[in-house]
Amino acid sequence: MIEIVIHQQHFILHPSGGIYWKETQTWLLADVHLGKVAHFRKHGIAVPRKIEGIFYQKIDRLLKKFPSKRVIFLGDLFHSYQNNEWYLFEAWVNKQKAKLILIQGNHDIIPVKEFKILGLTVVDSFEEDEFYFTHYPIEKEPYFVFCGHLHPGAKLMGIGHQQLKLPCFYQTPKKLILPAFGSFTGLHLVSPTTEDQVYAITENAVLEIEKKN
Amino acid sequence: MKELFSWFKGQKWVPQDFQIECWTAYSEGKNGMLHAPTGSGKTYALWGAILQDTIKNKQYPLGLQVLWITPLRALATEIQKATQRMTTDLCPGLKVELRTGDSPQSERTRQKRSPSFGLITTPESLHVLISNKEHKRYFENLQIIVVDEWHELLGSKRGVQIELALAYLRSFLPKLKVWGISATLGNKTLARKILLGNTKKYTSITAQIQKEIKVISIIPNKMEQFPWRGHLGIHLLPEVLKLIEKNKTTLLFTNTRAQCEIWFHKILEGNPDLAGSIAMHHGSIDKKIRLWVEDALRKEELKVVVCTSSLDLGVDFSPVESCIQIGSPKGVGRFIQRAGRSGHRPNVPSKIYFLPTYALELIESVALQEGIKQQKIEDRIPYLNAYDVLLQFLMTLAVGSGFYPDTLFPVIKKTFCYQTLDQKKWHWLLNFLVKGSQSLEHYDEYKKVNVLANGLLQVTHKGIAMRHRLSMGTIVSDADLKVRYQKGGYLGAIEEWFVSKLNPGDVFTFSGHNLELIRLQHMEVIVKKSKIKKAKVPAWMGGRMSFSAHLSDLLKLTLQNKTHKNSPEFVALEPIFRQQQKESILPKPHEFLIERFHTKEGCHTLFYPFEGYAIHEAMASLIAYRISLLRPISFTMSYNDYGFELLSDQAFDKISFLDNDLFTTQYILEDLEKSINLSEMARRRFRDIAVISGLVFQGFPNKPTKTKHLQSGSQLFYNVFKDYEPDNLLYQQAIEETYDHGMERGRLLKVFEAIQRQNIVWKECNQPTPLSFPIITDRMRTKLSSENIEDRIKKMYLQLEKASR
Repeated sequence: MIEIVIHQQHFILHPSGGIYWKETQTWLLADVHLGKVAHFRKHGIAVPRKIEGIFYQKIDRLLKKFPSKRVIFLGDLFHSYQNNEWYLFEAWVNKQKAKLILIQGNHDIIPVKEFKILGLTVVDSFEEDEFYFTHYPIEKEPYFVFCGHLHPGAKLMGIGHQQLKLPCFYQTPKKLILPAFGSFTGLHLVSPTTEDQVYAITENAVLEIEKKN
Repeated sequence: MKELFSWFKGQKWVPQDFQIECWTAYSEGKNGMLHAPTGSGKTYALWGAILQDTIKNKQYPLGLQVLWITPLRALATEIQKATQRMTTDLCPGLKVELRTGDSPQSERTRQKRSPSFGLITTPESLHVLISNKEHKRYFENLQIIVVDEWHELLGSKRGVQIELALAYLRSFLPKLKVWGISATLGNKTLARKILLGNTKKYTSITAQIQKEIKVISIIPNKMEQFPWRGHLGIHLLPEVLKLIEKNKTTLLFTNTRAQCEIWFHKILEGNPDLAGSIAMHHGSIDKKIRLWVEDALRKEELKVVVCTSSLDLGVDFSPVESCIQIGSPKGVGRFIQRAGRSGHRPNVPSKIYFLPTYALELIESVALQEGIKQQKIEDRIPYLNAYDVLLQFLMTLAVGSGFYPDTLFPVIKKTFCYQTLDQKKWHWLLNFLVKGSQSLEHYDEYKKVNVLANGLLQVTHKGIAMRHRLSMGTIVSDADLKVRYQKGGYLGAIEEWFVSKLNPGDVFTFSGHNLELIRLQHMEVIVKKSKIKKAKVPAWMGGRMSFSAHLSDLLKLTLQNKTHKNSPEFVALEPIFRQQQKESILPKPHEFLIERFHTKEGCHTLFYPFEGYAIHEAMASLIAYRISLLRPISFTMSYNDYGFELLSDQAFDKISFLDNDLFTTQYILEDLEKSINLSEMARRRFRDIAVISGLVFQGFPNKPTKTKHLQSGSQLFYNVFKDYEPDNLLYQQAIEETYDHGMERGRLLKVFEAIQRQNIVWKECNQPTPLSFPIITDRMRTKLSSENIEDRIKKMYLQLEKASR
């Protein structure tokens, strides 16, 4: 885990791909893509079902780790139309005490009212203090932006032609893009500039990556 | 047979022995295998036999009688023309038609309603025909299937498609005859058995056409200045220009399309007078242009054609006087085939020039000449247990008339590929299609194949059927985009990934022109001609071939055999050998050479077994794995046909390497399996498997958006299976294929045994040696690591974007 400070607020970057905002006891999670496995299977593509339950195990562990009052999903919570995954999600939501906020992403095509019935707050984006929360990576003066959508990944190089591709947190002066929290998701490789920071994640660690010309 | 003789006489031809043998054997009702080179009149041997049978029956038969399968669409047109001509003369009124991926829908519907006497088609299109609900009626009169160029299909998954189609058709057409036509290959008997099955009624006919082949190496004047590595050979352009000048027509064979484009340009730059009499021919160029080139070749209107393997097969180009091979052809068989494209007149030897792209490649020229002398033609290794192709075929049946598993199982078992298929695996495959390889049904909405009340397996969902029909076929490639001039006119197709690297305004070379990208629009690349000289050349993926086992044996022999020491190639190589000996040694037969040196890239350790690329790939990862057990270390590996390199950021210790006997044959297969898993060599294999088996859907042509939520890369599937479903047969297949097609397990053991008898010579060098150079400069690498991932990351960095544009 790595803790970073933005506008005097403290954020913990967690290996799961989530960010914990200490002062407000909030978890930020991007691109969960729930129901993707079911969507593929419904169309005759045999993705193993074992991946389906992973989200719930992962998030339950996070919520127990720190006091958690609130979870903000930064878009693409569901991958596609409503399917059987919804029942699992409903069962999970019913057990939660934290406030759940969904920022709509391009994949979120399930009608808003369905989420509202479950008690979620659904918005396009919102600001709080010096921060702005949205799905798409945009810059919004004078705010610092937290967002998803990209599924950022870093291609690391080393001596002896070593190479590794890993999901990462991608921070520019004005925004931070979270890696996809979902398990059955791909990577988009980023091309950082000198003023950007890249934090790669492994199963157990978050590591800041050195940059070279 | 008199009709055939007189027809031949009318053409001013004399039937050759093998043609008469075919006619006789066929009239006796035999199945058969004809080994004859391209351009020898093999089409008339078989087609004549078929027509003779038809004439004998007096009354013309109804329905589809003959199916002729050819690997290339371009060849199909040629064969259709030739067979139709003969048919019109001998059986007027009968039709031979074409059915390929290019055939328009209206044509297909008409063919379905009124089938012609003969149909020329490809393996993929044959499967499309089988996916038809009414296919049993369509095929009910079928007498004979001819599989042309079987040697091209045999070692590929398209060969498996043929096996499946044949076994299936035989199951309801017990009298079906099968003939194969093939160039010579090493494993003739196996090739015949796979195609003809268990029948005892067969014959093998070999065309006795012995052609003298002259191989001439193009040797650089100043060997000292010739590069130690490279893949283009452009340094020798002046020599090539001279050869073009000297010969009436020249074919210049390159190994990749990128090479092809570059050579075309350089030749034209070097001799602008050739404009108008130079052309290019490769698989990405629009069919119309290709046909024009082939036609112009025949009419002697061209002086030189720069081509890839696209001109290996088919059509006869009698005016070709000489061929030039750029770089290693990687196999004796292919080299002979290419050489055979020249000098078609009787008693004129085929002439082929070998142009080395780097110095040491000259040794290969000598090895190839030796191979031709000994007629060491390669085997084609057929696939075993290709579950991806079987799943695709089961879907093909399921979208059509459906199938009963119990009746189909014995049919599939009859093929060579699936001879060891057992009930357990069969059920796994069925379960994959019906339940998406799960046992739990709770909340599952999996839909693909349905089990109907009577036990029939069939697809009822329209969207699923549609997606399958659009993605049938085993040849896997990136999505192709059509290249079109803004003002109209197609130039060909280019792979999507290359275009994705371009921005509007960028200039690239394609089909011999420098083109400026205007925009991308509905799967079309809109371009205009550009005057800018400097352009990007699309480096087509694929086309990376491994050396054949025969050729590597020949190579070793050549290098260590004194008899070649006086050949012009070895004389030219003298300075290079001297440099090698100064820095290291040229290993003798009883020596096994290991070289160690450091550069800014890290610590290089090179091993030289001279066993060919495939074996080296396996050895590299096996040795890397064994070293990695001694201490945490990360390797990247590269290999060529001479040896392999283990590159690491830290040096591993020589003494502990030698003391631990890492070349032992003990636990060799276990270690190999572990190293394959660790190095993820199988990952590359999985890409094809995911597409063929229908896991990865490449999208509808021209309608990329509809499937947006269903797109996913094969790599993601590979990871998911590895982590969550390692017993998945498709994942297992990737590993098995890496063993069998990559590395030939049995041979690997022998190689390790041989090393045990050799002296290991470990040389510490001050700089890279000539032998090592082509290996260490290769960018295509496999990785293996025993280090903890966090420790590795701490030593790594991110490459910043270069301040460009």
